[in-house]
Amino acid sequence: MFILDTLLIGSLRFVLDKVVAAAEAEMNDDTSLREQLLEAQMRLELGEISEEEFAETERDLLARIREIKGQQQAPISMSPKDKISGVDIESFDSEQ
Amino acid sequence: MGKTTCAAARAVADAAAGSRVLVVSTDPAHSLGDALGVKLGAKPARVGRGGRLHAAELDAPRAFSRWIDDHRAALGDALEHGTWLDRADVEALLDLSLPGIDELAGILEIARLARVERQDRDDRKERRAAPYDVIVVDTAPTGHTLRLLAAPRTVAAVADVLDTLQAEHRIIRQQLARVGRPEAADRLIALVAEQARGTGELFRDPERTTFCWVTLAERLSLAESEDGIAALDANGMRAAEIVLNRVLPQGDRCPVCDRRRAEERRVIVQIARRLGRGRRMRIIPADLREPRGVAVLAKIGKKLSTTEDTEEKKVLNLRVPRVLRGGDGVLVMSSPKNERTVAAESLPGVRGAKLIFVGGKGGVGKTTVSAAAAVRLARAHPNRRVLLLSTDPAHSIADAFDTTPSAGGSNVYSRGTSPADIGDTPKPIRGGPRNLFVRELDAARALAARRADLEEAVEEIASAFGAGEVATGSGGAAELMDLAPPGVDELFGVLEVFRLTTPRGGGRLRASGASASLAEARSVKRAEVGAPRDSQYDVVIVDTAPTGHALRLLELPETAREWVQVLLRMLLKYKTLVRPGKLAAELVDVSKSIRELQALLRDPSHTRFLVVTRAAEVPRFETERLLTRLRRLKLAAPAVIVNAMTLAPRRCTRCRATAAAERRSLAALRRSCLGRSHGCVIIQTPLSAPPPRGVRALNAWGGSWLTGSPS
Repeated sequence: MFILDTLLIGSLRFVLDKVVAAAEAEMNDDTSLREQLLEAQMRLELGEISEEEFAETERDLLARIREIKGQQQAPISMSPKDKISGVDIESFDSEQ
Repeated sequence: MGKTTCAAARAVADAAAGSRVLVVSTDPAHSLGDALGVKLGAKPARVGRGGRLHAAELDAPRAFSRWIDDHRAALGDALEHGTWLDRADVEALLDLSLPGIDELAGILEIARLARVERQDRDDRKERRAAPYDVIVVDTAPTGHTLRLLAAPRTVAAVADVLDTLQAEHRIIRQQLARVGRPEAADRLIALVAEQARGTGELFRDPERTTFCWVTLAERLSLAESEDGIAALDANGMRAAEIVLNRVLPQGDRCPVCDRRRAEERRVIVQIARRLGRGRRMRIIPADLREPRGVAVLAKIGKKLSTTEDTEEKKVLNLRVPRVLRGGDGVLVMSSPKNERTVAAESLPGVRGAKLIFVGGKGGVGKTTVSAAAAVRLARAHPNRRVLLLSTDPAHSIADAFDTTPSAGGSNVYSRGTSPADIGDTPKPIRGGPRNLFVRELDAARALAARRADLEEAVEEIASAFGAGEVATGSGGAAELMDLAPPGVDELFGVLEVFRLTTPRGGGRLRASGASASLAEARSVKRAEVGAPRDSQYDVVIVDTAPTGHALRLLELPETAREWVQVLLRMLLKYKTLVRPGKLAAELVDVSKSIRELQALLRDPSHTRFLVVTRAAEVPRFETERLLTRLRRLKLAAPAVIVNAMTLAPRRCTRCRATAAAERRSLAALRRSCLGRSHGCVIIQTPLSAPPPRGVRALNAWGGSWLTGSPS
């Protein structure tokens, strides 16, 4: 019954991965906020939200990201890698 | 080239001889109906008297979506089984259109017609299932026909991908439910694989399939024919016939006609020597009247189906007429003396533009016009860098700049030794302005070069939706990348145009990852020997593939955007399952880039489309349709260039009759352009004998175009 085994273990591992991911996400709010920002960008590209709505969400999210950064290492100091400019998240473009 | 004329003529002749014939056009820019003088649709319609001749123009997007609809349930099953997508996602995927749609639909249609034919052979009672004895396919221009012929393998690879998606499900059914009976999805996969195999076999079977290579007796067509026939050979298919269309017959002595005859004869002799062995050569003389309608086509059809051997002997015994006054190098242009000329660089379509597409029907002279415009533009603005980029998979820029005298030995035309051999990296032209660079896009090579990135992207997408095993290994997905599938020319054409015309273009719209940029940086470095960096071009002139595929290229951003949107929607839907990460960020980037590209294409101060045509009825119809499509795409088309006009006929009766016919056609074109309020200027270029080739001739010719109103 190797098939059953593969399916079972595969699924189990998948669920465990998700649990770990969720736990990590909660521990590091910054990641979740970045993901929300990305999601907003996706919705903007899909036309689900307007430019104004996006700008508002972005302002809000960026403010909260800054806040977290502030808590973690006051005073605010961003490494070049974490720089946030406009709607692009530079760390996704490693070579720029 | 006259492919359509020849296909229609052959069909008419076969029908007259008693066969039931279907002639079908697979060129996305159809002109079969124009040639037959009837309105055609996707459904075969009876043409002429006798009832044996039927004709149809394939509507590729519709044929493809009909095929999808027929197999929607089974296709959906395979996709649903192999991914964790639900039915709604799968439906959204199935509704997307594809680049290369014309080739895929063409292959499916030919497979369908061929299948019907075979059924008939097995079961003679069922005559109604096979209504045709002969199917004549009027194909797209060279480059894309070669893609069409490779399409069976693409379809086979797609069947393989579907099979991978279905595999796990099949195992579960067999092992757990103890069911071994194939279901709809399995049957479909088998059918697709069989169609691909059957059509491939059909193409390679000389008993059932004949390839008829149609060309003009022009230098620019020679290398293209040679490459095309070689590519057919490489695919196990054989061009059994070569048709030389629109060859000037004997006539009055005339400095223009005689030079053209001399050039044509030389090309014909070269073709006979280099390609004629074991092939039937046929010569269709140029008629003063455009061959339209069944009656006229019947005459040409007779010449196309004769089995007498006299033609070939006639070809080989042709004498090259001695040219009057002046040597071979002299360019004689049919220009009127006191008409105001306009130089190519100051045309409304050229002046100030940063991106210029030059397009039109096959064989009208797109390459010559774009080469002349590029030379003139580079000379007029020595401080601007000009790039002439060909996106037609059947390139001929090299030949437009090649000044090797055509009278030389038999080695003159071999590609490798051509002094102006151009490649995929921008090169300056020998003897040309230093700020002019030329490049022939090699989409298959570009695909191979970026294969690693594409594989990575496919893997990311596939595993994001639970089908990781599709992308890994050496199955259909890998095979698809090997094949340079239909649509690859348009895809990389658009990618390059974007990269070249936006300053940040290099950073975006890439497949993914840093490796791509590294590879790119390296290739740019290599190209930089004497060439500027891509973003440093001030003007890019694109010599496009003939009409149908040029339009596909321009429509591609919209198609790509639909794909990106469907993928984004699915990523959002499963965001709790797979957190949107690198893939989502890249898709957002791509989506932005596409919007940017579309904005550039629709900005009339940035992008213009120059339509090239001839003063004849069939090209005029195509031009009118092209202008309408361009307007729908919101592209600026400020000028129509009517190429190679006999503007100053002398005493030669042929020249006079030609000029009169051209004037009538030009007047009709002018009326329809005004009537449609396209607001475009009509430019005429003088017929040149021989056609302008090389920097000097192109420069002289490009400086003597006319805007004048009709006299």
